Amino acid sequence: MPDIKTPTTRWTLNGQEVENTSGMTILEAASEHGVEIPCFCYHPGLSIAGNCRICMVESNRSPKPVISCSERIADGLEIETESEVAVDARNSVMEFQLINHPLDCPVCDKSGECVLQDHSYSHGPDRSRFIEDKNIRHTKELGPTISIWGNRCIVCTRCTRFCDEISGTSELCIVERGDRSVVDVFPGIPIDNQLAGNTVDICPVGALISHDFKFEARVWNMERKDSICGGCSRGCNIEVETLDGFVKRLMPRENQDVNDWWMCDEGRYGWRHLYSDDRVLEARGPSGPLDSSRSITAFIEILDNSPRVAFLIDPFLTCEELHLVHALAASSSDSLVGGWLPEQGAAAEFPAGFKISADKHPNRNGAEQVFGHQVFGEDASHLQRALDDGSIETIVAFCGGPDPDGPGQEWSAALVKASTRILFSVLEGNWLDGAALVFPATAPLEKEGTWVSEDDRLQRTRSCWKPGETPFPGELVLLQSLQSALGTRSRSLSAAGIFRELSEVCAPFAGHNHSDIGSSGLLLSDRPAGVGAGGGA
Amino acid sequence: MAVTLSFSPSTMKQYEWLLTRYPTRRAALLPTLRLAESEFGEIGVPEMRYVADLMEIPPAFVFGVVTFYTHYRRAGTGKYHIQVCSTLSCALRGSEDVVTRITERLGIVPGETTDCGLFSLSKVECLGSCDTAPMLQMNDDYHEDLSIDDVDQLIEQLRESAKGGSN
Ligand code: SF4
Ligand code: SF4
Ligand code: FES
Ligand code: FES
Repeated sequence: MPDIKTPTTRWTLNGQEVENTSGMTILEAASEHGVEIPCFCYHPGLSIAGNCRICMVESNRSPKPVISCSERIADGLEIETESEVAVDARNSVMEFQLINHPLDCPVCDKSGECVLQDHSYSHGPDRSRFIEDKNIRHTKELGPTISIWGNRCIVCTRCTRFCDEISGTSELCIVERGDRSVVDVFPGIPIDNQLAGNTVDICPVGALISHDFKFEARVWNMERKDSICGGCSRGCNIEVETLDGFVKRLMPRENQDVNDWWMCDEGRYGWRHLYSDDRVLEARGPSGPLDSSRSITAFIEILDNSPRVAFLIDPFLTCEELHLVHALAASSSDSLVGGWLPEQGAAAEFPAGFKISADKHPNRNGAEQVFGHQVFGEDASHLQRALDDGSIETIVAFCGGPDPDGPGQEWSAALVKASTRILFSVLEGNWLDGAALVFPATAPLEKEGTWVSEDDRLQRTRSCWKPGETPFPGELVLLQSLQSALGTRSRSLSAAGIFRELSEVCAPFAGHNHSDIGSSGLLLSDRPAGVGAGGGA
Repeated sequence: MAVTLSFSPSTMKQYEWLLTRYPTRRAALLPTLRLAESEFGEIGVPEMRYVADLMEIPPAFVFGVVTFYTHYRRAGTGKYHIQVCSTLSCALRGSEDVVTRITERLGIVPGETTDCGLFSLSKVECLGSCDTAPMLQMNDDYHEDLSIDDVDQLIEQLRESAKGGSN
């Protein structure tokens, strides 16, 4: 229901009187009533260009059809979206758009998610009256990651508006005029801004092609999961697309509280290490690979024989995994926990408000909630001192980041001072030399659980693995198996179950559960009524 | 070595005056490009870059504007730039025949320049002289109500004047 104070407008949509917030465009207002008007150049995140004309509708206020993406609703306005005039206008625009379009869908990466293809199917003619030669426009690289296939461009200017308004870098322009116009860059100034990949997403056709995804998959064969980017502490909402269980592409997922419709290129293309030849894929001891049960027995043996165990956590672990580490640490007396942080990167903020964080990891905030604010500060220094003075023999360390150096040189050097090391790592690296046990670690896209972004937003990330086809037991499973073997856990739980345990013992998470987090996350402080910050603890 | 381009002091004065005539700097782009054209003789990549930097607008934007219009003398254009209007009125009155004739006589298609660097041929959008269609623009002059003979004559004339070293 509209807010009492918001002025509303009464108008007529396809013969039915309807009401919307005043000032909306016809297109947006109609969509609120379930009437989808086709559009190419309109994008909710960009300024209105009104150049493609596909969104024309019949209006009682105009002798000619009007474009619904820019025309606003008004009292008494009567709009028809399916009348003969409207349908005819739409079909004519479609025919016009297709005059020079190659319709090379069979070899086009956009096929299956192409707006032109969809509208052509529903509004286009089934044959062409155009017998002249089609125009040829350039196919070329516009930058290191993007090419233009000019023949497919419908000159909607979404991509140029993106570079003008969202990234603020203005590398793209439309050159030439009329049926020769096409997207280009100034000679010698390629498109290489940190948000460039988004232009490919918003291109309604297959004109902008990402080199990374070119000819990689037909989009209808891929499976999709709502997830979160682990590239930095912003926690951009993303969709992970896989083919036969392998990641093929990451796409931003709309979340107006976090990333709008966008994501950065570093996050978008930063998943190749998942399939690196240097992946640690099985547990091993000094004498070779260990199967799951033997690795757990070996782990327990070490714990049993260690007077004092220390844990070095990382900011990639989910809150659930951290909770399990916390429980494990609590179950052995006199344990120490500290955390390591990857080197800071560069932060960036763009004209339209999109931000990239300098913290190149997803869950520092969550770890501080689970272990207390000093875990990367005073606790970490304390742990380092204890390692230095030789008072720690056994340490369990985690590295879920993409760096083969693990926790970095300083920490690696400190770790060596503990004679028995159990190390979790995504990639092989020198820091694993001499370890008592090495376990494969899950990379951010493989984790199932929650992270807390730098804005205190609790969000759910989902594993790109096919359920039941996991290459190795992730930390969530392994740490629970350990607990079972130690006799501290009676049954193993999903990430949601572990989160419930966490919310019962850790005040910042009190009152929350996985299903309430939903697809767009929530602020840690947004508790259901009746649950105080201290509740549940 | 690329020569660093720069407006002469008098052109710079004109540019500064232009800025006072437009609500925004960007709005003064078209006449500024005209200044650049007369100062540098043509508009190519360095000239566009100079104008973009001078006016503090994205080079890509200048590129888009320069290529949208057919009115600027782009780098590499021949001495005689023949622009045949190909929009509706002219098309209906036979502009395609005019283009074909020029192609036959000069051996170049629209978008090309003769090897001798004398002639460039373009098809352009409406030049605002629809009542005298078909028509073409040769450098700054209009040639209207064209017949094929007129086209032949024009080319001969231009060849003559090129020989004479004048025009
Ligand atoms: S490349 Fe795509 S987004 Fe850009 S103008 Fe062409 S069709 Fe539109
Ligand atoms: S800004 Fe951060 S969270 Fe967002 S896509 Fe980039 S790396 Fe990922
Ligand atoms: S969507 Fe309205 S004109 Fe393009
Ligand atoms: S159509 Fe040729 S001058 Fe207008």
